[in-house]
Amino acid sequence: MQLGTLALLLTQTANVLSQTALLFFLGVGLTLIFGIMRVVNFAHGTIYMLGAYIGYSLARVTGSFWVALIVAPIIVGAVGVAFEAGILRRLYGRDGSAFLMVTFGLALILGDVVQIGWGASALRVAVPDLLSGVVLLLGEPFPDYRLFLAGFGVVMAIAIWQVLERTRFGLLIRATSQNPEMARALGTDVQLIRSGVFGVGCGLAALGGVLASPLVTASLGMAASMIIDAFVIVIIGGMGSFVGSLIGAFLVAFVQVFGNFYLPELAIAFIYLIMLLVLIVRPGGLLGKED
Amino acid sequence: MGAWRGLILVVAVLALAPLGLPPYMMTLLTEALILGLFAMSLDLMVGYTRLVSFGHAAAYGFGAYCSGWLLINTDLSLPSAVFVAAIASGVLAIGVAWVCTRSTGVSFSMLTLAFAQLLYAITFRWTSVTGGSDGLAGIPRRPGPFGLTALTSKTGFYFFVLGLLVAAFLLCRQLVNSPFGAVLRGIRENEAKTLALGYNTRAYKIAVVALSYALGGLAGALYAPFAGFANSELLFWLLSGQVLIMVIVGGAGTLIGPILGAAFFMFAQHQLSSYTESWAIYFGMLFIFFVLFVPRGIWGSVAARLRRPAADGR
Repeated sequence: MQLGTLALLLTQTANVLSQTALLFFLGVGLTLIFGIMRVVNFAHGTIYMLGAYIGYSLARVTGSFWVALIVAPIIVGAVGVAFEAGILRRLYGRDGSAFLMVTFGLALILGDVVQIGWGASALRVAVPDLLSGVVLLLGEPFPDYRLFLAGFGVVMAIAIWQVLERTRFGLLIRATSQNPEMARALGTDVQLIRSGVFGVGCGLAALGGVLASPLVTASLGMAASMIIDAFVIVIIGGMGSFVGSLIGAFLVAFVQVFGNFYLPELAIAFIYLIMLLVLIVRPGGLLGKED
Repeated sequence: MGAWRGLILVVAVLALAPLGLPPYMMTLLTEALILGLFAMSLDLMVGYTRLVSFGHAAAYGFGAYCSGWLLINTDLSLPSAVFVAAIASGVLAIGVAWVCTRSTGVSFSMLTLAFAQLLYAITFRWTSVTGGSDGLAGIPRRPGPFGLTALTSKTGFYFFVLGLLVAAFLLCRQLVNSPFGAVLRGIRENEAKTLALGYNTRAYKIAVVALSYALGGLAGALYAPFAGFANSELLFWLLSGQVLIMVIVGGAGTLIGPILGAAFFMFAQHQLSSYTESWAIYFGMLFIFFVLFVPRGIWGSVAARLRRPAADGR
C-alpha cells in the first residue's frame, strides 16, 4: 500500500516532467519572440500543429521518427523566417494590434493549409521502436517515451540557456531584447536577430509538436488549445523571460497532471486561477518586467 | 448636421430592409447588427481609452448565458431578460476592471484574457447552471409585458436589435463627445499627464470597462434568444480575437467603424465560405492585406478622405 502510493507519486512526477518538456518547447518559443519583438504571436499554436503534421509526413516518408524530429522544426523555422521577413518586418513601430491581426491571419492560413494538405481527420504517429517499451518505476510501468521526453527537455533547456548566456548570438538576443535602439547603434543587425529569433521560436514550437504527436493524435483542434496553454505559460512566467517559461511550463504541467488525477472537475479552472493570482501579485508575471 | 442626416438615412434603409431582403439575408443582417453592437462596445475601451482587451468574449458570453438562463428558468420577458443580463455584465465588469486596471499594456490584455478563460472553464464545469459542454439550448423569445408578441417573430426581433443598436450608438457618441470622453482620450494619449491634471484615471477606466461590458453583455444577451442557444464557444478566446479584429478592420476609435467591421467580417466569412471550402486562407490574407494597406481601418480611411480641413475636429 505504502509502496503503491509512492510508486504512483513517482510516475505522476515523471509525467509532470515529460509534460513540462512539451509545454516548455511551446512556451519558450513564444516568450523569446515576445522578448525580442514585442509581438504576441497568435499563430504559435498553429505553428505547433504544423510541426506535428509535417513531422507525421516526414516520419512516414523516411520511416524514421528521428529524421522528422530534426527536419520538421527546420522547415517550420524557415516558414517563420519567411513570414518575419515578408510581413512582420514592415510593421515594427506600429502598435500591437497590427501584429495581432497579421499573426491571427497567419494562423487562419496555416490552419487551412493543414486541413487541405492532410485532411480533417486526426493522425496518429507511432512511438519510435527504440522507445516503445516501458520501464518499471517501483514496480509501476512507465512508458520509455515519456522518460525520454523528460530527459530531452532537460538537455534542450540547458542547451538553450547556454546559447543565451554563453554565445555571441545569445548575447545579441539579450541585448536586442533589452534595448533594440542601443543594440542597433552599436552595430548589431537587429533585423537579422529578429528574423533568426522568430524562426527559432517557430522551430521550437514545431519541435514540441513533433514530440507530442506520438502521445496525442495530431488534429486540427490542437492549435486552439495549445495557443492558450502557451499564453498561460508565458504569462505566468513573465513575457520574455526564459527561466519564466520553464517555471510556467512546470506549473501548468503540474496542475494538468495532478489536477486531472485528483480534481478533474477543477483542473482547467485552476490553471486560469493561478494565472490571475500571479498577474494580480506580479502584473508582469513571475520573472517578467511590468510593461 | 450632415452626420445626423447620414445616420437617419442609414437607419431608414435598415428599417426598410425586411421589405426587400430574403429571410436568410435578414438572419445574417440581424447577426451582423448584434456583432456590430459587440464590436462597438469594445471600441469604447480599445479605440477611445487604449485598453486593449483580449477577453471581451467574457462580456458577450456572460450576457448570453445570463439572458439564456433567465429566459429558460424564469418568467421574465425578452426585453427584461436582456436588460437584466446587460446590467449583470456591467456589474461583473466592475470587479474585472478593478483587478485588471492595476496593470497596463500587455499585462492588462493578458489579465482580461485570463478572466475570460476562467469563465470559459467555469461554464464547462458548472454543468447544472450552464449545461456544460452542450450549453443552454432551446432558449425562447418570450413576449414582452404589454403583449409585445411582435418581438418573438424574426422581423420583430430584428427591429428590437436595430433599435437597441441605434440607442447604444447614440449613447456612446454622446459619451465620447462629453467631458468624460475627453478624459478617456486623455488617458489614451498620456495617462500620466491626465493623472497629473487631477483626474482619477483608474476610476474612469473602471467606468468605461463597466459600460463596455454592459453593452457587450447586451449584445450577447441578444445573441442567445436570436440563435436559441448559448455555449462555451461564446466565451472562448477565439471570439475575443475576432471581435478585436472587427474593431481594427472597421477603424478603432470611430464607433461606426467597428459596426462596419463586424458586418464586413460576417458577410465576408459568409460569402467566402459559400464559394470555397478553404475560406480561412482568403480570410487570413484579407487581415494581412488590411494591416499592410488599410492601417486606419475601413471607416478611418473613409472618414479621413471625407473630412474637409475646415470641418476637422469634433
